[in-house]
Amino acid sequence: MLIPRKVKHRKQHAPKRKGAAKGGTKVTFGDYGIQALEPAYVTNRQIESARIAMTRHIKRGGKIWINIFPDRPLTKKPAETRMGSGKGSPEWWVANVKPGRVMFEMSFPNEAVAREAMRRAIHKLPMKCRIVSREGGEF
Amino acid sequence: MSEVRLTVEPRNEFGKGAARRTRRAGKIPAVLYGHGEDPRHLALPAVDFARVVRENGQNAVLTLDVDGSNNKKTELALTKTITVHPLKNYIEHVDLLVVRRGEKVTVDVPIVLNGTAAPGTLVNQDVDTIQIEVEALHIPEQFDVDIDGVEAGHTVHASDVTLPRGAELVTDPETLVVAVNEAPTEEAMEADVDAEGAGVTEEPSDDEGGNSES
Repeated sequence: MLIPRKVKHRKQHAPKRKGAAKGGTKVTFGDYGIQALEPAYVTNRQIESARIAMTRHIKRGGKIWINIFPDRPLTKKPAETRMGSGKGSPEWWVANVKPGRVMFEMSFPNEAVAREAMRRAIHKLPMKCRIVSREGGEF
Repeated sequence: MSEVRLTVEPRNEFGKGAARRTRRAGKIPAVLYGHGEDPRHLALPAVDFARVVRENGQNAVLTLDVDGSNNKKTELALTKTITVHPLKNYIEHVDLLVVRRGEKVTVDVPIVLNGTAAPGTLVNQDVDTIQIEVEALHIPEQFDVDIDGVEAGHTVHASDVTLPRGAELVTDPETLVVAVNEAPTEEAMEADVDAEGAGVTEEPSDDEGGNSES
């Protein structure tokens, strides 16, 4: 599972969810990519799950890149606790994904298989996504 | 590369409101600069410019008929940057560079792979474009790299790409363009999944001394 090795502050403010991705909006390493269409916090479990879904489907002969990293902690107070007494304990590690961000990339010779693998991976992610290719869309 | 003629209008109002009005009118806000001249703000016809990029590539030399003013002028320009909306995929803005006939310019030319490598291999294209210095009116549309039937271990560097006469390579000649590797096996990919999960530990260094909570 992806998790930072070392952090400066264990508890942070919740990341801002406004706006669109400033960079990382193109497929740069592989042939196809999964692009986010909505803002979302993607947890490390979801990233791992999506990656396993793709890996298990293509079986062999491909390569997968993960372009996001869950570097922001989200905290949660225990159930049935009164308010106050400080901030809750870190519960999740999330990547703050903005619309337009290409989160995963894949290189695989067969386009149909690659698209099916990515479709399966999209089902593991918490937002609407689409599959984009390296050549990019026509204007 | 062919020259393409576009009729453009000068822009007199600026800012995001004006830019949005320009886009709503079916035009693209653009700026034209270079050769020490003052930058000029233009509005390009959106459909025509998109067709030019689609058919002639981003490095097409444009002959701009600057319309709307009393003194009608023609300018030769090269597209320097196209800003595309990341989600809606339309052209938001274009930077155009003034060029002169016979002038040498530095441009990024796309690399296109042709054919399919041998079975059991994985093609990794490291760079999409290579930079060359070439006469403005003789910019190649693309460089074709043939990888049909090549075996694992085959690499193509920037120096291996055949350039047209008069063009010079600006990119480092040792830059790896394409590498054909052996496709990873199922076991290797599964092992990759496990390897990333293991050994990564959180080491919180919460050294905030003054923040005591009651």
